[in-house]
Amino acid sequence: MDIPEADDVEFAPRGLFFAGLDDEEQNRMEDIQSSQNPQSAPQPSTPLSSVREKRLFFADSDDEEIPRFEVSDRPTPMDTGAKDGADDSWSDVEIPNFDEVPRASSKRRVSPLPAPRGSRGGVDSAYLGSFLVGNAWSTVKGKGYVNSGEEIRVERDEPDGGSSSKPAPTASGSGKGKKGGVPDKKKKQLSLSAMLKPQPPKLAKRKTDTVVRLTNKRGFEFGRLPQDVASWVSKLLDMGIVDFKGSMMIDCPTTLHSGADLIVSLSVYVRPSAFKPPSTSAEEESSKVIFSQGQETHDEQALRERKTALLCLFDAVGLRPRCGAQVSADGNSPGDESSDIAKQATQRPVGATKEGKKPKTEIVGDGEVIEVEDGEELSDNELDMIYKKAQRNDLGMGEMDPPDTFALTLRGYQKQALLWMHSMESGQISVREATSMHPLWSEYVFPCEPRDGVIDLTEDDKLFYFNPYSGELSLEFPKAERKLKGGILACKVMGMGKTIMLSALIQTNRDPELVISDDLAKDSSRARQLKLDKAFRPMPLKERKRSDKGPSATLIVAPTSLLSQWSEELQRSSKPGTVKVTVWHGQNRLDLDGIEADGDDDKTIKVVVTSYGVLASEHSKLLKACGQSSVFQVEWLRVILDEAHHCKSRTSKTAKAVYALRARRRWAVTGTPIVNKLEDLYSLLKYLEYTPWSSYSFFRSFITVPFLARDPKAIEIVQVILESVLLRREKNMRDSTGKRIVELPAKEVSVETLQFSASERKIYDSIYNHAKRDFEQLNAKGLVGKNYTHILAMLMRLRRAVLHPDLVVDPDDVDEKPNSGSKDGTIDVDAIIENLSEEDASAKTSKKVFAESVLATLKDTDNGECPICLDVMETPAIIPTCMHQCCKDCIVSYLATCAEREEEGRCPTCSGGPIKEQDLIEVIRPKVTPEDTKGGIDFFEKGKSKASTSIPEVVLRRNDFRSSTKLEALIHNLRRLQDQDPHFRAVVFSQFTSFLSLISVALDRERLTWYRFDGSMDMRKRNAAVSEFRKNERKPKVLIVSLKAGGVGLNLTSANHVFMMDCWWNAATESQAIDRVHRIGQEKTVYVKHFIIDHTIEARILQIQKRKTAIVKEAFRGSKTSEKGDPDSLENLKVIFGDD
Amino acid sequence: MALPKRIIKETERLVADPAPGITAAPHDDNLRYFDVTIQGPDGSPFQQGVFKLELFLPEEYPMSPPKVRFLTKIYHPNIGRICLDILKDKWSPALQIRTVLLSVQALLSAPNPDDPLATDVAKHYKENEKDAQRVSREWTEKYASG
Repeated sequence: MDIPEADDVEFAPRGLFFAGLDDEEQNRMEDIQSSQNPQSAPQPSTPLSSVREKRLFFADSDDEEIPRFEVSDRPTPMDTGAKDGADDSWSDVEIPNFDEVPRASSKRRVSPLPAPRGSRGGVDSAYLGSFLVGNAWSTVKGKGYVNSGEEIRVERDEPDGGSSSKPAPTASGSGKGKKGGVPDKKKKQLSLSAMLKPQPPKLAKRKTDTVVRLTNKRGFEFGRLPQDVASWVSKLLDMGIVDFKGSMMIDCPTTLHSGADLIVSLSVYVRPSAFKPPSTSAEEESSKVIFSQGQETHDEQALRERKTALLCLFDAVGLRPRCGAQVSADGNSPGDESSDIAKQATQRPVGATKEGKKPKTEIVGDGEVIEVEDGEELSDNELDMIYKKAQRNDLGMGEMDPPDTFALTLRGYQKQALLWMHSMESGQISVREATSMHPLWSEYVFPCEPRDGVIDLTEDDKLFYFNPYSGELSLEFPKAERKLKGGILACKVMGMGKTIMLSALIQTNRDPELVISDDLAKDSSRARQLKLDKAFRPMPLKERKRSDKGPSATLIVAPTSLLSQWSEELQRSSKPGTVKVTVWHGQNRLDLDGIEADGDDDKTIKVVVTSYGVLASEHSKLLKACGQSSVFQVEWLRVILDEAHHCKSRTSKTAKAVYALRARRRWAVTGTPIVNKLEDLYSLLKYLEYTPWSSYSFFRSFITVPFLARDPKAIEIVQVILESVLLRREKNMRDSTGKRIVELPAKEVSVETLQFSASERKIYDSIYNHAKRDFEQLNAKGLVGKNYTHILAMLMRLRRAVLHPDLVVDPDDVDEKPNSGSKDGTIDVDAIIENLSEEDASAKTSKKVFAESVLATLKDTDNGECPICLDVMETPAIIPTCMHQCCKDCIVSYLATCAEREEEGRCPTCSGGPIKEQDLIEVIRPKVTPEDTKGGIDFFEKGKSKASTSIPEVVLRRNDFRSSTKLEALIHNLRRLQDQDPHFRAVVFSQFTSFLSLISVALDRERLTWYRFDGSMDMRKRNAAVSEFRKNERKPKVLIVSLKAGGVGLNLTSANHVFMMDCWWNAATESQAIDRVHRIGQEKTVYVKHFIIDHTIEARILQIQKRKTAIVKEAFRGSKTSEKGDPDSLENLKVIFGDD
Repeated sequence: MALPKRIIKETERLVADPAPGITAAPHDDNLRYFDVTIQGPDGSPFQQGVFKLELFLPEEYPMSPPKVRFLTKIYHPNIGRICLDILKDKWSPALQIRTVLLSVQALLSAPNPDDPLATDVAKHYKENEKDAQRVSREWTEKYASG
């Protein structure tokens, strides 16, 4: 930036400077926007609401005060020149947008100026201490400016100091006025902001004016404070936190020259306005939260700078906390820490902006796609550490019994949870020890005033309190206070019985709460709700009708797949008639208004269960003009979010819908309150209305930013928060007697390594070699990142090839399958005989006789010996032309060998033929169970009796189904299983629904009863599948589940055999799937079998699984959006395509 | 690779129920390798002779035929390299060691000098069967009597 340096000429070129800057900024912004948030650009509601917020603010602000932003909005040319390079950490600080800092009362004045003090009615400042500045420097030359021992003043430039400065601030000021908060959401408003002229200056790049001038009593400037001091002194002055009164010149040369060293003593007085509580949260938050997507807002910057400046000040004057947050023995002196934070924090937003990375996306709620930020992820260790504290008092926690209406028995840890939840709801002091002072605050003592004649604010109480995290000052004792009713119930594993625990809570705390009249709901956290109330205006009658009784109903929000489970569990755990559960889902949703009104039986507890998807769509309905939605109208006694991490992204529709619910008590149930970032927690706190953390500015400033700066305090704060709102129940937690709180039966995991058949190997190898060649070429050219999608597609193909050739072979290449007419491929015996009759007449009779005798003996329970393996035929296959039999596997592999030699396949016994694989006829024999000894009926009556009886019978089936190694392995295992346990229940997972379809065909052919559960099915079908599967019937059942759809919540404890058909990049996903079966309620040993094909990509995947899985999960998510491969995923690709 | 169940079964049966005039015993160190003896069928020029053979079951067995070779010198039109269709393109996995050896034994009784892959011996048999049978007997006496 080429800027004139002399102070005097600063105003004239300013306009020029601005013009240039605007252009540059605009371009830059567009870059950022287009690269960062392309899809979020149109957000029509943003400008409106933000304008409203702004106006509100202006109305509130003091008239005498000049709008604050103007000063720091513009760069001071002189300043740029003077301090370039002097202190980067400060000069590069993003300019705070001071209009967002309500408490920074804009004292852009000479410090002891009469005007502001007069306006405050004589309330005066309190002495904080004094400090020496040894390296102030002179800006003038000559004698008589100042002498040692004289009083000096400390001044900041006035924002509108000269008339010539008007043009620039006016321009920027009017820009602000008209466009409201445009700068705030510059990230998102590409189109809007590009259209609006003049472009509001981009703030972040501007240099901060930190010049602090020293003047003598006559007002002549003779020197300045050195940069390191001025950097924070200027902030404190600007924010109106301190005055410097009675400062002294200690030593200076009698004749000053430019640059001469001056030693000055500065006395610091804290202004009363500094103790005003900040009002950051409620008002601006509704707009803020929507706009800011992980970016630090100006608000947050200002708070952070204030905090840093105060810490520097306390350090300079030697003020130490007497007790409180900073007394902790972590060895970090406030000074070090703060400058550290300042550096890190100031670097980060700039860096993040410049990278212009494509945002990642995740799917939250019911299929809503949201962006996620990079970075800020937590390692597992960090997470463990965070949770540890929150759990430390849990062992000795008391227990509570549920009321009589609760039909089940609770386990010990569940009773503990009930007590905790009960106390959280009833507002009693936490069962855990409550800290008396707010954990974030420190207590300070005002130092003694060395001089007389100053009114001391702290006459009665010499204490004040400082929050080193927020920079807040207070004269009042900050109590550790918790207003929210509710909390987070964290159950790390499935099957801890959280449904049961919450059901017990619903039964326990069933009484409606008292009605709160509207004016009581005025506290700031309710501001949003009041706003929503306006939407309800068309229905004032109903509002009133409800008001004779307080809210008593509970709303449960859960993923769609769990709705019926909730409903069933609630019914099951309650005595009949005590609970009325309404599943609010699907097209015909009732008006919930009546949910509490039909109170002829007040004893019944009303519970409504709905899904995130419904909630989000209801919310968008509500947001439309005059839109109404009863679910947001009802004031709930209690809202429970199941799998609450569904709304972890605060900008998602789901999350916003959840925030908009009206409730007295709020619960979030989730296995992962922090999925991978600390900010995941924010959304929960926001939902819980846990002030002040429900303000994103707060959370960001005091947790996210310090955490990024590797400040351990961030974790400590999170621990404190969690300690007060979270109860964690874990599978391996132990109770007070040292027993595990949950005893689960054993889980035996085994891997069955399989070998491809020759043809499968051929197909696979050709795909693999092709992919490998592609990868190596791209890698050599360094183009892997660019072609990441392509490579992922290749990997996908390989993974399919491992499962079944049909999943990769072009459908046109597959032989036309003979249509046998029935889905399980059964064929009619008569047809076979008929076919034989077509043979030449001479052979006809004898063949027919033989065929009939063969068929007649089929019903014998003993199979003959296979001529190929010389073993008893397990699954006999008949060669249709001659009726000779072999094992299916034997004859199939023989035919394959023949095909390889380009010979025709012939019957091994009689060389009859040629025969094709799909012509073979399989003989499916019933499994004879001890109870079912009725046996087969006459074979030839099969057709007639089939429909009317379920008696097992011999079935012939055309072998027109192409199997695969994995499929065969599964079938073999299931057969074996059926031999051991005729009523087994097995769950089969695959991530490919197309493979699920093949599995289902194979199961059909085995005449096994199967049910399917995948993402394409609607909720009703899924529920039907699961409940049918659970139904207690005397037959084997198989549930085939898509790994992704069945990943959450599902309770499949009725099964105890799990088959994993393919492996996922992330072992955690697999174990989560397995936990569907291995969870509380499971009484048998769980057998898990992974099928792995030797010498394929699967072995490599396992290898990658063993690497740090956390990295892998993002890299291989396989979504089209993550087009760029990071170094880790490149490494992983190398593992896959590497040589053994 | 482990020995397929089929080979074990066949071996057991060969031992438990040997075919007349045939012995087959696997090597201790290689169960796919058999020492075989076949007695010359009565009424053939190979009568009284005991012929040693080796039989090897390849990896693909029973999808591929076993490999059989005479160790004892024999004057036979189809044996030097054994010319037997079931050991070549007429192989079927339903055939076994026993059936193969019985076929070889049968071949001794019924030489086929018309085999397209005729040798000098075949020529001899074709032109002067008596004289050829004489040589066969001589060879049997000379090589296959011990």
